[in-house]
Amino acid sequence: MSNRGFLVLAQDSDSGDYIGQACLLAMSLKATNNLPISLVTNDDVPNNYVSLFDKIIPIPFGDDAVDKEWKIENRWKLFHASPYEETVVLDTDMLVLENIDSWWDFLSNYDVYYTSKVYDYRGNVADTTYYRKAFIENNLPNLFSGFHYFKKNDIAMNFYKELETVVKDYGKFYETVVPKSTPSFPSMDVCAAIAAINLDCVDNITNPFVKNPTFTHMKSYCQGWEDVTKSWLDKVGCYINTKCEIKIGNYSQSGILHYTENDFVNKTPVLERYKVLLNV
Amino acid sequence: MNKGVLVIARNNNNIDYVKQAVYLAKKVKKHLDLPTSIITDNIEYLNKSFDPEVFDHIISVGYESKTNTRSFYDGGLASKTDNFKNSSRSSVYDLTPYDETLLLDSDFVVNNNLFLNCFDSDQDLLLYKDSYDLSNNRNTKEFEFISDSGCDFYWATCVFFRKTETNKMFFDLIKHIQEEWNHYRRLYQIQSQLFRNDFAFSIAIHILNGFNKGNFAGQMPGKLTYITDQDILWNTKDETMTFLVAKKDYLGEYHAIAVKDMNVHVMNKFSLSRIIDQEMAVEQ
Repeated sequence: MSNRGFLVLAQDSDSGDYIGQACLLAMSLKATNNLPISLVTNDDVPNNYVSLFDKIIPIPFGDDAVDKEWKIENRWKLFHASPYEETVVLDTDMLVLENIDSWWDFLSNYDVYYTSKVYDYRGNVADTTYYRKAFIENNLPNLFSGFHYFKKNDIAMNFYKELETVVKDYGKFYETVVPKSTPSFPSMDVCAAIAAINLDCVDNITNPFVKNPTFTHMKSYCQGWEDVTKSWLDKVGCYINTKCEIKIGNYSQSGILHYTENDFVNKTPVLERYKVLLNV
Repeated sequence: MNKGVLVIARNNNNIDYVKQAVYLAKKVKKHLDLPTSIITDNIEYLNKSFDPEVFDHIISVGYESKTNTRSFYDGGLASKTDNFKNSSRSSVYDLTPYDETLLLDSDFVVNNNLFLNCFDSDQDLLLYKDSYDLSNNRNTKEFEFISDSGCDFYWATCVFFRKTETNKMFFDLIKHIQEEWNHYRRLYQIQSQLFRNDFAFSIAIHILNGFNKGNFAGQMPGKLTYITDQDILWNTKDETMTFLVAKKDYLGEYHAIAVKDMNVHVMNKFSLSRIIDQEMAVEQ
């Protein structure tokens, strides 16, 4: 078993080409980091992109998200799927824009770690209240599963077993823990928050006093704008040079960019830039 | 190293910036015990109308034919449109007679010695990023970012700088931004064509921070406290200033507030002028 690695779950659906996004994420990791990335999927990966991944792993215990648009139901299985002793899980619609080795050293102090504070493209703490009414109204811990970390140990396994329980019976948990602004689906962020409450481990899996690890959250209503467009791509320019350095609205981006809009891959030259850079 | 305050005063048909500069120089002498130098295109008027001895150096600049036009309000119900000669600010690095310069707007009222801390700072460039609107009831977003999606807003109202190569580069960059204003205002999604020094300084800082947040410019001591030209400076007595600040959603109605020993940027230049006239009349 390798020591450390990244893991991403991708299942194509009508809502997006998530395998393509996972491949792009893998390219960004290849360009900036020296750790392997594995893909958990039951879908086909284009031949020319297979070598981007350390391992391509079938979804364990069968696919629980058949016919589901967002394919969230399988995400608790990542603990069981990971081939690594220490794993960072990333959403597919992310790019890693710099070397984050120092983050791993920080994360190694934890058994499970969730980002609880994210940033906008201008480097300010993102105001996510527009999207997180369930968290605010029900006083849930503000966890973001888009970036999280776990060790392969009993403490982490216990957390993911609790997460499995919550995801599988989310309606019942929502009734008692999320009675206001209740999501209509098993939101992974909400389910992780419920698991953390149930295990009384919020302080053990988050750290509000550090900036990193985190990510730049590009949902439009997080950006501190007065005049908000549906997609951030309609509001600010996005520039990608041949070194795959990205500027959004004149701000150089670093760390992890959660671009959130599926159109980002089609409307910008990001894929072409990475393919040329890595000779993929 | 010699140090002092620098002020730019270029009158238009309605606003006497030279008079404001004289008032500022006296306030600076009283509270900071520093010399003040003036940059102006109207030395003749200065010599004729005021005591030029209040200034350490009088620096002449040519008459500015290229002007911006904007509205100057005097409270919520009155305004005049006039020229706005603001192109000299990028030249202060070359024009200042000081090694350590505190550049102040002429409509900035100094009532304490807070600015002396600038001269003890380890950083060679200081500006205000944080500000406080005395009305405390307006949307201050325009003073947080230079546009809805643009970079952080810095005030060019008060700038402390030392003569260093880095600061020369900073002011040269501001000159370039000024020369290519139409390009930069589009790049930073600024809708108004009006050149503003606040914007040019903010863009230059953003660029020299590597297109990111950073510490190229340090923070001036405290926050910049201001009233807008929708408010009125009503009265002064010693270091106490009384303002009528506009009520929210009630055009032309105000409530009174008073502050003591506080530096305030008085953007209503007409009301500041009236107060200066009153104080100068008492002096005579």
